[in-house]
Amino acid sequence: MPILDYITVSFLVIPLIILVLNNLFSKQFVERINFKLVGVVAILQMALAVAGFSLLSAAHWEDYRFSLLWDWTMEEAGYFAVNSLSLVFLFCIGFVLLVAVLVAKATVEQRKTAFVNLVLTLLLGMNGMVMVRDLFSLYVFLEIVGISSFVLVALFQLETGLEGAFKYLVMSSLATVFILTGLAFVFMQTGSLQYAQAWADWLSVQGTAQLYTYLAFILLISGFALKTGVVPFHSWLPDAHQSANTAVSILLSGIVIKVAGIYGFIVLTKLFPGFPPVALALRILGLLSIVVGALFALRQTHFKRLVAYSSVSQMGYILLGLSSGTTLGFLGAMVHIFNHATFKSTLFTNAAALSAQAGTLELGELGGLEKKMPVTGFSSITAFLSTAGIPPLAGFWSKLLIIMALWKSEAEGFAAVALLASILTAAYFLRLQKKVFFGQLPEKFGAVTEIGGSVKFAELMLSAVNIAVGVGFPLILLFFEGRGLL
Amino acid sequence: MWFCLGSVINLPGFGWEIMMLIIGFLLIIAGAYCIIRTYHLLKIIIGMEIAMKAVTLLIILAGLVNGNLALAQSFVITIIVIEVVVAVVAAGIAVSLYKKYGSMEIRNLRKLKG
Repeated sequence: MPILDYITVSFLVIPLIILVLNNLFSKQFVERINFKLVGVVAILQMALAVAGFSLLSAAHWEDYRFSLLWDWTMEEAGYFAVNSLSLVFLFCIGFVLLVAVLVAKATVEQRKTAFVNLVLTLLLGMNGMVMVRDLFSLYVFLEIVGISSFVLVALFQLETGLEGAFKYLVMSSLATVFILTGLAFVFMQTGSLQYAQAWADWLSVQGTAQLYTYLAFILLISGFALKTGVVPFHSWLPDAHQSANTAVSILLSGIVIKVAGIYGFIVLTKLFPGFPPVALALRILGLLSIVVGALFALRQTHFKRLVAYSSVSQMGYILLGLSSGTTLGFLGAMVHIFNHATFKSTLFTNAAALSAQAGTLELGELGGLEKKMPVTGFSSITAFLSTAGIPPLAGFWSKLLIIMALWKSEAEGFAAVALLASILTAAYFLRLQKKVFFGQLPEKFGAVTEIGGSVKFAELMLSAVNIAVGVGFPLILLFFEGRGLL
Repeated sequence: MWFCLGSVINLPGFGWEIMMLIIGFLLIIAGAYCIIRTYHLLKIIIGMEIAMKAVTLLIILAGLVNGNLALAQSFVITIIVIEVVVAVVAAGIAVSLYKKYGSMEIRNLRKLKG
């Protein structure tokens, strides 16, 4: 089907073309239009992902293979491929990118051209990561994502940003060492790193689980855990996410940790099917992240740092969903990826609004802003309720699916702790709401007004998505049922 | 003990492959030790690079063991290119930090805590 060919290739070609255009003309001209261009790219990516998804499911194809300029039908040639999983990820990438650009219009004042270049490189890396079909290309695109994120965090040359970027870089390069050593072991035993062949060959050597199976498994899982920032590998995450520009934080927390980390875990679960330590490791990592992330979030005094620890905690739910090994758990994890992108972007957008209007993000200095900033307050409350899993908002449904899947796969203890940890989530977000939006309004904030323009639009859009997904979720469940997934 | 190591890469007995594996792991440990125990930004970058070069050694070893050396070599060249980019970014951040603080001391980085 040639139209699907155009759609899939454009995920890689459009960022490249815009990247060239962004550097082709004079800076004065480019800086007037480049944010709009990136916004258009984001909307286009969402539209193309939806179109690709409907074409793929109409044709009942498992995946659609393509390449850019070479003949992929040759033996052992590398190729790209899209399936429904990558299209869901591509949609989420477009969605978060749109929000990040809307916020960047307000927060990025200098170095606009460099910012747009890096965002487009990041987009290219993430799009490539979810479409490649061999482990080595996965590593290459992972490094593209990593390098553009380091520079984005350090871009504005603030002391905090440089510190966060350096910590991120060191931990990330350790993750690379782990992942590559694990890849070396898989490559040693199978002779190929293409998913299809490596998985089949690896299965046969895995039947007799030996020391190298465990070694490869431990190395790969630690590498991707470092990239995701789950406990106990989380030390870089709050630093990088707090110190970055808020638009960059949206990208990092909203999508980069999921594409660079969680997608790696998804590949891993396919590389080690039925290997008992996988489910155990994912459950332990997930549970630790949920509880420890939430406990750390309880004692934070900086808005963005608290939200970053909340990301650590929510990644734990996604890992628990993946650990169940069933379709139900997988669907729960996928829906939670989208929902987390929505509510985490909302909270970081609120951070952008607060730091623009009130001038600080320290929880101790803020207070009573609900009357002054009604839209920010409202969107923050919907995001908080959704994160804590209060029906009928979006977060409730994905957590319900994950906990049901855990319960069905006979991990009742883990399901119970995941359920109870929602109380911790509610606790730290209630503290946030109380400190920022309720209580006494300090004297100096008497003249604070609601933020306007693109940030307000982003807040309204995200709240609408959050509520719409929550209220309309039975329709999504019907869609899953129609495809025979439930 | 040699038997145990041989089972790691599925090779019988003791040979130079095992030797290369041991050297690779020792280099990774040296790099990690360098990252943990030094307090100088550039030394940390050097530690990162040592660990990464050790990984290229392991990938070449993997190519030798499974007989697919050409593929392993192309992997290693790609890894070296990517590593240079990471090292340049790291050195750039280190130089910017040096301009801010006037020293390469890692213990200056205390702004982000909690």
